[in-house]
Amino acid sequence: MRRLLLAFTIFFALVMSAAIPARADQTVWSGLVIAQNVQQPEPIPVELTRIERPLKELFGYNQFQVIGQSQKTLKTGQEDWLATSKFFGLHVDARGESAAGYVLNLKLYKEKELLLETDAKLSKRSPLIIKGPQVGGGQLLLVLVVQ
Amino acid sequence: MKTFEEKWTAWLDGQLSGKELVEFEASLPDKAAAEAEKRDAKKLGVLLKRELGGDVLRNEEFFSHQLRERLARENVEPPRKQAAEVSTWWTIRRLFWTGTVSLALFLVFAVFVMREKNPAEQSQYLTQILNARVDPAISPNATISMFEAKEDHVTVLWTEGLQSLPSDYAAK
Repeated sequence: MRRLLLAFTIFFALVMSAAIPARADQTVWSGLVIAQNVQQPEPIPVELTRIERPLKELFGYNQFQVIGQSQKTLKTGQEDWLATSKFFGLHVDARGESAAGYVLNLKLYKEKELLLETDAKLSKRSPLIIKGPQVGGGQLLLVLVVQ
Repeated sequence: MKTFEEKWTAWLDGQLSGKELVEFEASLPDKAAAEAEKRDAKKLGVLLKRELGGDVLRNEEFFSHQLRERLARENVEPPRKQAAEVSTWWTIRRLFWTGTVSLALFLVFAVFVMREKNPAEQSQYLTQILNARVDPAISPNATISMFEAKEDHVTVLWTEGLQSLPSDYAAK
């Protein structure tokens, strides 16, 4: 009788542990990327290898350089952070977490000018790419990835 | 007036006497054979009394016999009831375990159903852009569109007409 009770307790605990998914802190990588076409392109940065194909196919450039980045581990889903380069700043304000991902408010600054603002629900499995302004012969891209 | 059969029966039983007995015995055609038959009848009577008399129960014996049978039946019935209780499946303990197992199965199925529900949320699988805006003072001709490259699971916010900047702005 006791053995059966113990077996049932273990079974119940296993079922409940399977039912409640383990929640782990996740890191959001946000980067300012300059896309260009050059004769001898440098290898794509590690952070962008996951989206190399869509970057090249969608934007038509052969080189992608990270000019500013930030890596933020989200614990409450309410954090905010900044990825900056010399002239640009990307402010990210996390406004909650859902099962699908994080609700973010993004603001792209050129120095102190607000160029672009957007709200997005960033999925944990789906990167976000934002096409920014033309910079010289290239293009500024904003990339957000949940790692 | 008695018939011959009545007188014969009475003679066999030894109930004839006096003149009647003398007259009946005188009327018998073969007295020796009649005497032999009388002896046989007496023997038969004795035999029947002895053999059948033992089975006849007196009243008190009959009731005591019935009581003994009833007691014997009552003594036999409880084990039968016990056997019936043991053989029945729905004892309290088994009911408890049946309920427990049913609950466990319910939990297992509930978990799987809940897990199956997640793929149905594929619409939330891709990043969604809720809204976007540019400063019209800085980029008056800017347009914004958005699309999803589902093969690569990538969401793109596409802007056109933003203020172009010199290559110096590409500095780190």
